[in-house]
Amino acid sequence: MRSWTQEEFVARRQAEWTALNDILSSGKPLYRLPAAEISRFSALYRGACADLVHARDVGFTPDLVSYLDGVAGRAHNLLYAAPPYRLGAAWDLVAREFPRALRRNGRFFALGMFLFFVPMIACTIVTVLYPEFAFQVLSPDQLQGMADMYSEGLQGRDEGEDTGMAGFYVYNNVGIAFRCFATGILLGFGSLFFLLFNGIVMGTVLGHVIAAGHGYNILTFVCTHGTFELTAIAIAGGAGLQMGYALVDTGGRTRLGSLRAQGRDLAIIILGAAVMLFIAAGLEAFWSPSSVAPPIKWAAAGLFTVLLTVYFAFAGRQPKARPAGLRAGSGGLEVGGPRP
Amino acid sequence: MSRSSRSSEARGGAHRAPPLDTVTEIETPEHIRFRYQLAGPARRMMAYLIDLIIRVVVVFFLILILSLSSLLVSDGFSIGATLLIVFAIEWGYYVLWESLWSGRTPGKRSMNLRVLKEGGYPTGFLDIALRNLLRAADFLPFAYSIGLAVMGLDARFRRLGDMVAGTIVVVEDLRRIGHGLQIQPPPSAAELAALPARPNLSATDLEALDLFLRRVGTLNPAREQELADIIAPVYARRLGVRYDHSARFLALIYLRAVGRTA
Repeated sequence: MRSWTQEEFVARRQAEWTALNDILSSGKPLYRLPAAEISRFSALYRGACADLVHARDVGFTPDLVSYLDGVAGRAHNLLYAAPPYRLGAAWDLVAREFPRALRRNGRFFALGMFLFFVPMIACTIVTVLYPEFAFQVLSPDQLQGMADMYSEGLQGRDEGEDTGMAGFYVYNNVGIAFRCFATGILLGFGSLFFLLFNGIVMGTVLGHVIAAGHGYNILTFVCTHGTFELTAIAIAGGAGLQMGYALVDTGGRTRLGSLRAQGRDLAIIILGAAVMLFIAAGLEAFWSPSSVAPPIKWAAAGLFTVLLTVYFAFAGRQPKARPAGLRAGSGGLEVGGPRP
Repeated sequence: MSRSSRSSEARGGAHRAPPLDTVTEIETPEHIRFRYQLAGPARRMMAYLIDLIIRVVVVFFLILILSLSSLLVSDGFSIGATLLIVFAIEWGYYVLWESLWSGRTPGKRSMNLRVLKEGGYPTGFLDIALRNLLRAADFLPFAYSIGLAVMGLDARFRRLGDMVAGTIVVVEDLRRIGHGLQIQPPPSAAELAALPARPNLSATDLEALDLFLRRVGTLNPAREQELADIIAPVYARRLGVRYDHSARFLALIYLRAVGRTA
């Protein structure tokens, strides 16, 4: 049997490739197309795949083969497209996936908290006891600025300034957390550094302000948003450490495979931490500096701490699966085999 | 390309070895293998620069507008809004474009690039968030040094973010079927009569000839002649014919083999 020459092949099949190309260049996801168009698309796709294999096998010219490669490849991407985004997925992430992922990787969460809060508390205590320690960490100018900032009580700022600070907190703090996470890819050393560094600096500032006699002011200011902000930074750092650790303890996978296996959890955790930081930025800008009475701020801080703890511990837990065959309403034990 | 054809030649051409160069093969559930051309650092850098320019221009104009509006609202407000926008553009630009435009940004689109999962599937939101958050690590210590170094060491040109998220960046071939090779002046009857009706050339032969003939006219004439003189005798011997002009002879057997002179 004489097979087609390339000319004949192209002449016979080109109309279908063009039709497929037209659907592809319309740029619409498949589910937006009318039903008839979808089934036509899948027929055209299969046709193009067969043509690609034929062209490659017979040895038609490379320009034709790569043209078909391109058309069939893009059709494949359209056919196996990711499911469309739903708003519900964002809620699912916050309400269930984030606390679940944190619990699954609890030891890195704990490690992040430890590496961040222990140096912070240690530096606070050291600076209160030996105020000159602060000058080993920060310059006198910076320390003076911090002490001045909290020397007066909080009378509330004007609204514009509040918005200004919200922008600054988002830019600065979420950026810190993201870097704290991302640098964990360097075998965890980046996250380790940022956790310790931020812990030491924050602890020193806190201790210095307390030693200067403005402890009540700074703690009242920090308590509410700090619950979210500091925890989120520790979470981000912990996720970074998890990423670094996956490169070391691969659990029998290749290094890349081990990293990849953590990918989903890591993405969920860091996105959850980002949400926490946005909440923190809002509080830090509008609530913490407001003239609300300190006892109310302390109460709010306590409430948020409890809520966060409950959320981390219980949100997204599945009800325990009951033993099969004893489901209520199934009418007794279920027996295997076909139903009538 | 040339490396891959040489390696398959070495194995007798019966079984195509996986290409060794910037092409990656992806097998679908239908057992079809697609070839994607991987995007190298140069092309990705161009796309990055285009995106960077877009971001800088957008931020510049927003700051301009906000600083004008600060006559109306307080300074604090406009500074805050500016910082929020800078944050959103710094961290959100790529995530937004790549997730809403199936793996492309304006810069990637203009360079014909697309982000895909390693299996050839489109990327999901979490993959995109992960690969773009890790830009902070790829960027270190400055100007994407780590990212470039890692990309250079990886066979698939992945930076750290791609490795964690399991993504690759490919070049999309949007080309149309060309007119095919033309030969000037058109082959004469005498020339065609001297050649076998269907020269027996393998796919690898055709690929090599195609790559050469496509470059005719863009190469230095002396170099063109030199290359043609190396290849032509091989085919002349195999087909048992003689030739006068080596480059023209190669074009003739190519056109004959793909049935364009029939």
